[in-house]
Amino acid sequence: MSGKIKSWVLERVPFDLEATTHMMSEVLLKEPIPGHMKNWFYALGATPLLLFGIQVITGMLLTFYYVPSPDTAYQSVRYIMHDVRLGFWIRGIHHWSATLMIIFLFIHMGRVFFTRAYRKPREINWMIGVLMLVLTLGLGLTGYALVYNQLSYWATTVGTNMLKEIPLIGMPLLHLLRGGETVNPNTLTRFFNLHIGFLPTILFGLIVLHILIVRLHGVSELEGREGEPSYSFYPEHFYHTILLGLMLLIFVSALSIINPPAVGSPANPNVTPHHIKPEWYFFAIYSILKIIPLQTGVYLFTLLLLTAFFWPFLDDAVRRKWPRVRMHFWVGSAAILGFLFFTVWETIQP
Amino acid sequence: MSEHNDLTVQKRLVGIFSFLLLVILIIVAGYETKKTREGKAVIKVSGVSKQCVDCHTGKGVAVKAIDQWRSSMHAEQNIACYDCHQAQEGDFDAFTCPESDIVVARHPTPNDCAECHQEQVDEFTNSKHAHQFWLLKNADRAVFEFPLATRNGCEQCHQIGNIWPDKSVGECDACHAKHSFDLAVARQPETCGECHIGPDHPHIEIYNESKHGNIFNAKGHGWDLSYWSEDQDGIPLEVPVCTTCHMDANGVQKSTHNVSARLAWESQAPWSFRTVWDQEHLGDWQTKRDRMESICKSCHAPDFTDTYFLTADLVNLQYNEIRRLFVRWTTRMTDDGVISREEANGKFYSDPVLNGWDEEPERLLYYAWHHEGRRFRHGAEMMGADFTQWHGIWEVQEDMTEMMQFAADHGYAEARAWVASNNPVKWVPYALYDIPGNAWGIPAVTNKTPFLYNNYPDYWEKVRANVRTAYQAGLLSDSEWNLWEHRYENRDHYLGLKYDADSTFDFYKRRNDIDTDAFTKQAVNLQLPSASFWEEAQNGK
Amino acid sequence: MSESKSDGTPRPDRRDFLGKLLMGGGLIASGLVGLRNVLAYIFPRVRPPKERKLLVGRVGEVEPGTAKELEIGGEILYLIHLEDQYKVFSGVCTHLGCEVYWEGYRDRFFCPCHKGQFAADGSVIAGPPPKPLNQYRVEVEDSLIFMWLEERRERGVV
Repeated sequence: MSGKIKSWVLERVPFDLEATTHMMSEVLLKEPIPGHMKNWFYALGATPLLLFGIQVITGMLLTFYYVPSPDTAYQSVRYIMHDVRLGFWIRGIHHWSATLMIIFLFIHMGRVFFTRAYRKPREINWMIGVLMLVLTLGLGLTGYALVYNQLSYWATTVGTNMLKEIPLIGMPLLHLLRGGETVNPNTLTRFFNLHIGFLPTILFGLIVLHILIVRLHGVSELEGREGEPSYSFYPEHFYHTILLGLMLLIFVSALSIINPPAVGSPANPNVTPHHIKPEWYFFAIYSILKIIPLQTGVYLFTLLLLTAFFWPFLDDAVRRKWPRVRMHFWVGSAAILGFLFFTVWETIQP
Repeated sequence: MSEHNDLTVQKRLVGIFSFLLLVILIIVAGYETKKTREGKAVIKVSGVSKQCVDCHTGKGVAVKAIDQWRSSMHAEQNIACYDCHQAQEGDFDAFTCPESDIVVARHPTPNDCAECHQEQVDEFTNSKHAHQFWLLKNADRAVFEFPLATRNGCEQCHQIGNIWPDKSVGECDACHAKHSFDLAVARQPETCGECHIGPDHPHIEIYNESKHGNIFNAKGHGWDLSYWSEDQDGIPLEVPVCTTCHMDANGVQKSTHNVSARLAWESQAPWSFRTVWDQEHLGDWQTKRDRMESICKSCHAPDFTDTYFLTADLVNLQYNEIRRLFVRWTTRMTDDGVISREEANGKFYSDPVLNGWDEEPERLLYYAWHHEGRRFRHGAEMMGADFTQWHGIWEVQEDMTEMMQFAADHGYAEARAWVASNNPVKWVPYALYDIPGNAWGIPAVTNKTPFLYNNYPDYWEKVRANVRTAYQAGLLSDSEWNLWEHRYENRDHYLGLKYDADSTFDFYKRRNDIDTDAFTKQAVNLQLPSASFWEEAQNGK
Repeated sequence: MSESKSDGTPRPDRRDFLGKLLMGGGLIASGLVGLRNVLAYIFPRVRPPKERKLLVGRVGEVEPGTAKELEIGGEILYLIHLEDQYKVFSGVCTHLGCEVYWEGYRDRFFCPCHKGQFAADGSVIAGPPPKPLNQYRVEVEDSLIFMWLEERRERGVV
């Protein structure tokens, strides 16, 4: 019976079933994974992917009830939290998965960085990864703006204000994001589009590319442990991934009850709250920008971003000059410590 | 192989974690269900009242009153401090808050409550709760006790009928206490019992003795008494509390703040009389009795209710006959100068038919009315048997005996004859009412022993004549008279006289004889060896 | 105990089976409950919003054609007496949320931020506001004027 269906479909969608099945099996299931990956630490790449999947699903569910208009956005979020059955759960998962995704991204990046997995020939993949990080942070920024409470409104105002300082493209970029001079109804609609359309689509494309490139190269081997026996993706790594998924779902579901995201007070353009803070992952940047002049800060962070982007090449150049120096270790540690310090510093500010 | 085991472990782990996920998902779903249950209302204060709350809370002055208010229905409806405590300059209780320039009323009166609760205030003002008249007029308080004694005494309870400088009457928070104005507090019997207590009207004591009160005390402590009686389907309690009968709705009539609307007797008065209070609005005593009966009949059989009421009514009428005797004597003794009235500056301050404190007959008359006379009547009306009996008629009879003794000692031949008489019928020197049997059932032996039943063959004719006269005077209703007649015509049944349960009685009589033998042997016939020291002294030892 | 199959892979034994059962059962169970939760989310149960009655004034307190400013829980509202009825409006301008003022002498509500104007019945006369002022349901009982406010009750989650 299934043979008849198969031949009916194949006649109309003429692809080589056998070859495709074989390729899928080889590429996906039997992908060789170096022995060192048995350690859970190396499953960190999958975690952001799982979380992305969770975000897409919960995000789509949220659009069932969320209304992206300044009049009704806040009300609709309140509606989701208070009145929609299990609305608090879906929004809770979405909120906490955002934080977790960024945390795991940082950890994954750190792992890749400290094991120098970015080295030749994987430089392009690293650069794609940096882009993905920027997109994820952008998703976080646009996402939180959608709640349209006081924090959303003013953090968006402050956040987009910084764009002014970028030379040449700063102002056009500001206008592009805000849809006007000041934060206005257009801003919310644009942020909504960015958050559910433009940014996730590009991110998805980059994710596919990123994973494809990893598959094409094969998972990088650890320096000093080349030639280790490898095992196939299915079944162990597969089960690891399933377990990860389950643990993540448990964790974020629990958080949705224990520490649900707040609704806050509705955005009031006339009242500027005393303390505006962005989301925690921007604390470090925010903190530093409070110390140094805005323009200097923007230049500094642009520089840092470019350094991160081109890091494989920089690292390679230094290594060739001074082979003994493990620069990546020092730079990476400094970056982490700096980030942690300023994040904590901003947290404990009133 | 170890890989294989690894895999099994993996699978088991997946199983375990997915069960954990299942648990969390169920908890989340359960949380959702719990969330849909109502929480407490969020109370936000604004305007002038917000100033009051903020400052008072900050300074810790009367903060519990604010907490009470928060739990009230007023708070839920945004009715806050200044809505009741606002005042104009020149109001009798206006003062300016020392910490701000707000003019505040110290004593919100029923006029303030009436702004929203006009109906309840009107009903209350027309009731006897608002009738402070006798407190003010009567010399009990104004003469016998000095003023200081009345401040926390008479005046505290009778505050419910206080006449305010702004001409309003009453104290609304006497029953639903401020600032929560909680209905549950108002319904609690002990609230009524704050004032309806004591030797002259032991209502809370009678209630607690009654079956209603007993069941309430056994089962009622968890009951939520804060309901709106008009919203209920009938009476929501297993047994009534005070307000159930005297104020609340019962599905057939509305609730009222006029406690006089359902009372047919003035059984606190010196003479029991059928009430004529505000007949224009409340109807005559029969209408009022019907209102009360409708509540009783929500639970009780008509037969029981009717018999019960008839008996209690006859008790009221009987009390009048007993009082007649007292009044005759005190009037006579006053006229004869045996006892005298207090007077000053041409005005009398005691009354031979009401009160007096320094002469025995005055005291006896007063107590026979104000204390045991009321207990006798109220106990009969509200099922407080002990108060009808030992604290009631028994003491009334004793008062009567002392009265006769006093009269005898002061030269009245009639009284002397009474004191000297050996005829057991002397104990009823007044006209009698009666009803064949009681409301509780048919007693097969009880009515075989009364002296009057056994020695006066025309007893029931005489009683019937009295009852009929009362009926014809409009003091009993048609249905009451018909019930009485029915009982009269079937008195052999209702009195149990036509039944023979003597064998059962004899069983207990034999038991009693055994008891008699026992105490005779043990006590009466016990001869101790030595005589008392007194006897010895008398015998010259 | 377990013998290998012909291709060398170990023969599935009881432990394997139990492991598979546990896993399968767990995944199916949690999957079903998760699906139930998501479906509960998607299919809304319509509950009428809980409303609370608030006292906002007394008949005779507000002259016809005038408005009384109220503050309820931090928000400014206006109780206005039109010809033969009472209305309660939110004082929040429907343009960008500034607070409007009642100008009795001009018989209108005025918003200072962008000069929006609303008539006494809440409709837009001039300026950028896109829709009339928000209204609350009003009920007059005897001589008391009440408004109905949607409940904000303490809830477990937020």
